[in-house]
Amino acid sequence: MKLNRLQTAGLILGIIGFVIPLLFSFTGLSFAGHLALGIFLMAAAFWMFEPIPIYSTSILIILLEVLLLSGQGPVFMDAELPVQTLQPKETNIYTLPTEAVTEDSQILEVDPDGKLILHKVEIRQIVDGRADIKLPDLQGDMQIITDASHRLVGYGPNNYADYLATLASPIIILFLGGFVLAETSVKYNLDRNLTRLLLRPFGAQPKYILLGLMLVTAVLSAFMSNTATTAMMMTVILPIISRIERDDPLRFGVVLSIPFAANIGGIATPIGTPPNAVVIGALTRQGTEVAFSEWMILATPVVIIMLLVAWVLLLALFPTKTQKLELNLSGFFDKSLKAGILYIVFGFTVVAWITESLHGINSNMIALVPIVVLTFFSVIDKDEIRNLPWEVLWLVAGGLALGIALNNTGLAQWMVEGIEWGSFNRFWLLIIFGAVAVIMSNFLSNTVTATLLIPLAISLETSGIAGAGFDLLITSLVIGICASLAMVLPISTPPNAIALSSGMVETKHMAKAGVIIGAIGLVMVIAYAFFYWPFLT
Amino acid sequence: MSSSIHILIVEDEPDVLDALVRDMEVFEETFPLEVAATAGEARSVIKQITGEGGKIGLILCDHLLPGENGVDLLISLQDQAQTRNARKVLVTGHAKLEDTVKAVNEADLNHYIGKPWKKEELHHVVIQQLTDYVLENEKSFLPFMHILDSSRLADAMRKGSSVTDS
Repeated sequence: MKLNRLQTAGLILGIIGFVIPLLFSFTGLSFAGHLALGIFLMAAAFWMFEPIPIYSTSILIILLEVLLLSGQGPVFMDAELPVQTLQPKETNIYTLPTEAVTEDSQILEVDPDGKLILHKVEIRQIVDGRADIKLPDLQGDMQIITDASHRLVGYGPNNYADYLATLASPIIILFLGGFVLAETSVKYNLDRNLTRLLLRPFGAQPKYILLGLMLVTAVLSAFMSNTATTAMMMTVILPIISRIERDDPLRFGVVLSIPFAANIGGIATPIGTPPNAVVIGALTRQGTEVAFSEWMILATPVVIIMLLVAWVLLLALFPTKTQKLELNLSGFFDKSLKAGILYIVFGFTVVAWITESLHGINSNMIALVPIVVLTFFSVIDKDEIRNLPWEVLWLVAGGLALGIALNNTGLAQWMVEGIEWGSFNRFWLLIIFGAVAVIMSNFLSNTVTATLLIPLAISLETSGIAGAGFDLLITSLVIGICASLAMVLPISTPPNAIALSSGMVETKHMAKAGVIIGAIGLVMVIAYAFFYWPFLT
Repeated sequence: MSSSIHILIVEDEPDVLDALVRDMEVFEETFPLEVAATAGEARSVIKQITGEGGKIGLILCDHLLPGENGVDLLISLQDQAQTRNARKVLVTGHAKLEDTVKAVNEADLNHYIGKPWKKEELHHVVIQQLTDYVLENEKSFLPFMHILDSSRLADAMRKGSSVTDS
């Protein structure tokens, strides 16, 4: 393992980030919150500078959580909250160990349901480590915590299995179903043959061919990975580009159209791209279930408008000199029995997913159908299963596990409490979340962007700090969709990197178009947040 | 750039070597060109490159060399771990059928280019051979997309999982 300077800095920064909360005590944050803060800071540094692969950081998060935060880890394994029954010394005067009284003269009562109740007390005297306190409404049989700074105060540890279970959370299974369908489609060339079939109606005029390429790319990347779709579409456009004159800017437009459409298309369905999984997973944990069809109704209008924006923009930035382009769209669908089973399973699954609200059967459950049927008939075998992008699932699972820790330890709430949210109205709040997501995702992984921002939105909701106008679903959608609008740099997303690597466009072309699309995209998303989504939810 | 992939050209006639190097210049930026006039020189060049952590991706080899001939050189390189994966192309006008057969059977010869070569043919062969090398030996295909067969590399990315969404 050889690290460059930035990665080394990230490694050191991450370790410092992990240690700092252990050395300092932040008021208002539980002991577990300090540990979670360390994990959070380390993960953020590792995800940003990538001294280790981003999926490795995700697994590290889960490991640290089961060790440091779970009820079965060494930290909380034998921990028990020290309580004693309050006993009167004189009338209305009680005596407790001094550790039971906080700095601001409060004591903590555990009520029969296990809830904590704070009581402000008056300290009469402190003798030999014991404090005599006075408060009229205290009663003799109360259970009082004798150590107010104990690590279990304000924190009930999760079972370690909760953290491990993120890898089998419903959204991960939904993704797995999508992965298996995509992998099988590639094996039987369904993706490429479908592309050729769908491109036929777009004729021979370059501008409509460009539109066709973008629509087909978007539709495929809504169900397959954006990266695999881009790689496949590159094989489709390379012969087209070789037929365009060398000095025709249309070449740039065609090459850029693919990653742009793939990034945008991923927004359309829950399985389109991993940030969607992070958003849906976090919302589900908050009790807001988002059905497959619901997500599509919310997100697809954004996709359509952004595709049209990108199309018009690419035509305007790179005006074509070519009048007519002949495409060779011949291809043969595999007519074997196994390929036939794939076509049926693919069609069935997609239809069942997008009609979830009609039949009511959960899409996460349906996701098992293609996995079972395709393996049942050996349409795919072990080789394909091994070839699935498992690390993407780890990446998402680590993000979900981080979210659990942030919320359960009270860290997320503690972080948002420091900001004066009342001074932002709803409009600015959404603009800030959206803009930060667009900017971050241009430099970081889209999934990491969503993972780092979603817990903030959730704690704004649960703490109620942001006020009554705050809507968790809409804020989460803004974050999730804006995390997919990263089109400025080749490092922004793998599809961008693939398009740039062809050598047929330069970073400046991508940056010019990408900045405009990001800006228009942000405006569009905010517009939907005010004029479309509120009427559906 | 220590782990870069090099192209080795083995040719003893200076004029022919010059012409080959000129025709291969387009690859220089991605695949540094190395030259040798004899089998012995070729071995020491290979030793130096691999010693610095570099790799040999392609060997373009003349057959008639002073001392050890090209086919025998390729056969001996096939037995070495550092050069086994290198793609091997014979560029010659003088190899007899039996030498060529020997090269195919024992050195896993990948291609035969007759002299005089055409520049387009040479480029095509080099691109395909290096694409094969990259597909078999490299993890990331992106650095080679602009110069090699991008369709084949893109298709490999579509089928494999070397690049995935993040």
